[in-house]
Amino acid sequence: MLLDGLGLVTSFSTVTLVGAGLIVGLIVGALPGLGPLMGIILLLPYAITFPPVQAMGFLIAIYVGGSCGGAISAILLRIPGTPLAAATLFDGYPMAQKGRAADAIGIAIAASALGGVFGGLILILFSPSLAAFAAGFGPPEYAMLAITGLTSIAAVSGHSMLKGLIAGTAGLLLATAGTDEFTAAERFTFGLFELSNGFSIVAIVVGLFAISEMSHLLTGDDLLDRPKLSTARPGFGTVLLVLRRWPNLIRSSTIGACVGALPGAGGVISSFTAYAVAKTFSKSDERYGEGAEGGIVAAESANNATAGGALVPTLALGIPGDAATAVLIGALLILGVFPGPTLFEQHSDIVGGVFLVYMLANIALFVIGILVTPLFVHVLRLRKVVLIPTVLLMCAIGTYAVSSSIFDLWVMFAFGLVGLVLRAGGYPLAPLVIGVILGPLLENNVRRTLLLSHDGLSIFIERPVSATLLFINIALLLCVVFFTMRRLIAGRHSDLSQEDT
Amino acid sequence: MKFTSVFTGAALVLAMIGGPALAEYPERTIESVLPSGAGPAMSVSQIIADAMGKELGVPLTVLATPGAGGIKAFQTALSKPADGYTIIDGYVAPLVLQPILGKADWSYGDFIPLHAAASNAFAIGWRTDETRWSSFEEMMAWGKANPGKLRYSSGQRNNLPHLVMAKALQSYDVVAQNVPYDSPPAANNDVKSGILDFTFVNVGSYKQDPDALKIGLVLSEQPAAKEAFGGAPSIADIDADLGISGLAPMGWDWWLVKKDTPPERVETLRAAMGKVMVDPDVRAKITRLGFVPLDWDHSDYDKIVSGVHDQLSTMADAIKWEEEALKAAK
Repeated sequence: MLLDGLGLVTSFSTVTLVGAGLIVGLIVGALPGLGPLMGIILLLPYAITFPPVQAMGFLIAIYVGGSCGGAISAILLRIPGTPLAAATLFDGYPMAQKGRAADAIGIAIAASALGGVFGGLILILFSPSLAAFAAGFGPPEYAMLAITGLTSIAAVSGHSMLKGLIAGTAGLLLATAGTDEFTAAERFTFGLFELSNGFSIVAIVVGLFAISEMSHLLTGDDLLDRPKLSTARPGFGTVLLVLRRWPNLIRSSTIGACVGALPGAGGVISSFTAYAVAKTFSKSDERYGEGAEGGIVAAESANNATAGGALVPTLALGIPGDAATAVLIGALLILGVFPGPTLFEQHSDIVGGVFLVYMLANIALFVIGILVTPLFVHVLRLRKVVLIPTVLLMCAIGTYAVSSSIFDLWVMFAFGLVGLVLRAGGYPLAPLVIGVILGPLLENNVRRTLLLSHDGLSIFIERPVSATLLFINIALLLCVVFFTMRRLIAGRHSDLSQEDT
Repeated sequence: MKFTSVFTGAALVLAMIGGPALAEYPERTIESVLPSGAGPAMSVSQIIADAMGKELGVPLTVLATPGAGGIKAFQTALSKPADGYTIIDGYVAPLVLQPILGKADWSYGDFIPLHAAASNAFAIGWRTDETRWSSFEEMMAWGKANPGKLRYSSGQRNNLPHLVMAKALQSYDVVAQNVPYDSPPAANNDVKSGILDFTFVNVGSYKQDPDALKIGLVLSEQPAAKEAFGGAPSIADIDADLGISGLAPMGWDWWLVKKDTPPERVETLRAAMGKVMVDPDVRAKITRLGFVPLDWDHSDYDKIVSGVHDQLSTMADAIKWEEEALKAAK
């Protein structure tokens, strides 16, 4: 199959299209509000003028570049270019503030590329088994998986678990706004049709992180000063920094590829879950949340491996792994290629070609990413008086572009204010985003499960995968309670010993 | 100095007011608002949009706006100016069905038609190793003997497949539980794994993997629909009269613009779409996806759509009947 596709991939035009797609992907990923999905949609009409493998090479490269590009603004500006990169900023931004911005971006790119290659290997070697695994996932399993994702709130809440849980619950509540899928009734829409699909995730993320960060910067008295942060360029040697953390890389990539193979689960679950797991298994000297290299490796390798995983159900079953792969399926359909089991039988050259362009895109990501990083890092040299309006303009363009909605711009600004208030109160922002993203996945699948089981709860333990995930969730919750109690007790002991001295 | 300011101001006002009127339409990107997400229907829209964009000399982009049974897309399009730069991809559900169900406050007469686009048939499918029944009639007999036990999906709730399937079930007096899914492939997957009993299958899904599900009944009496589903039994082959025919049980769309759109711009769009819909290349691409390109131009709109409206109106109580019968069965 791979040999069949080799001839379609090695042409000059395919390689050029992959390179162009990567650059487009890195740019749309780095711009707040845009992202790989928007890049793919915008360039779909151009892509479908090429033969299937070349078109897929171009679009997949945007997907791969966009999945990584969000990390750049997360690291440099504390603004995740896409929700996928929200977990990257926990350690990426502190690392940049310590003068290691180039290293942080280099690690993010290398981890993305290696995670993507790992996801590609899984795609090539285990497509049929992963597809069978995904086919066994029904509403009870998705409900349990959503709970697994929610447990990552514990890892990203910093020192205040209570505030993290409050923010996460607020996110879950916000996610209830919109049309109820089960009764077609409108909930918390206040008669506004713009809210019939709920709040735009992009507007929430951009508002919470970007608008609040820019507002925070505005309060400083150094608006006209040129920042003195180091802007050294990253070297190809950053790959060694990532490879040194190979257990984290393999574990996070595996989480990413497996979650990606589940239609509808998505990169946000995988990056936060991989980050939470990496933090749990980290050495005591690695301070997660304060610029740990392992944090960037976990989040970035997971979200790019997710892209590889998402191609499994897309190609093998014809079921899109996420919104971006749904558009990829659309492109294939327009080109007269029907994804699904018959594709493997009738067009093994196209399947092999798609596998190879995905691998090529990830390898090229590393080379192109490292070469173009200095351009992005120069952002750090901009005076805030230039940086702030530029970022605000890009945020507005990106958020508006998603659905050409002025209303979404108001939502963005409103969540900017919410972000400012939360930051002032010491509430972490990421749990709110996790709640908003996982809320519909949890609610809809619990309700769907209850309809399927005629209101019986035993279905959650009758199905082996659901029961296993339930057991894992209980274990994770017990771990969270145990570690939180231990930290509280240790803190109390430390206070008492200070009083004694 | 003062004269210069006044002159400059007047020139600017003239440029702003007169500019758009003098400029030749179209001069910028036109948007087609699609009431669904990525999938076969979006691919069909993209094919038509690309070809129309070439005819018009400007890009024509497809803005996928899923949600609320297509209502959000219509409301989004209706909130834009009637300037010919926004086309509404008038799918039957938001155009005809949602107003009938009282979920939307417009009627099909509130829009100006450009041209009919494409239609696609639905079918009912179940898993290939199903042992409880082997035909639609046998499934209905099983459902009647086990009220409320059958679980099925029509994709989203209150959409056209839901109405048509509820009507078919009502005809057999079978009470079944509708389980909404935001993605039809996810419902197909759950049928295959045995957690769901049957589902609606669109022709795009069928073409992707014809052996995934057993097609038990094609919900159209038209031979082309039967053929699109590999010759599976259709409503023309069963004894019962389900009261559905023609375009009523099928998905179809008609491209529209807002009522106040300038007539010369409507004509430009109509001419472009008319050319595109007879283009053999466009028709071949649409047909390859399992959809049927439609030949009706704007003059057929009222007659065709009112016929579907009347038929769907008589079926509208089927979903309500399903809800009440299900409550009673519990």
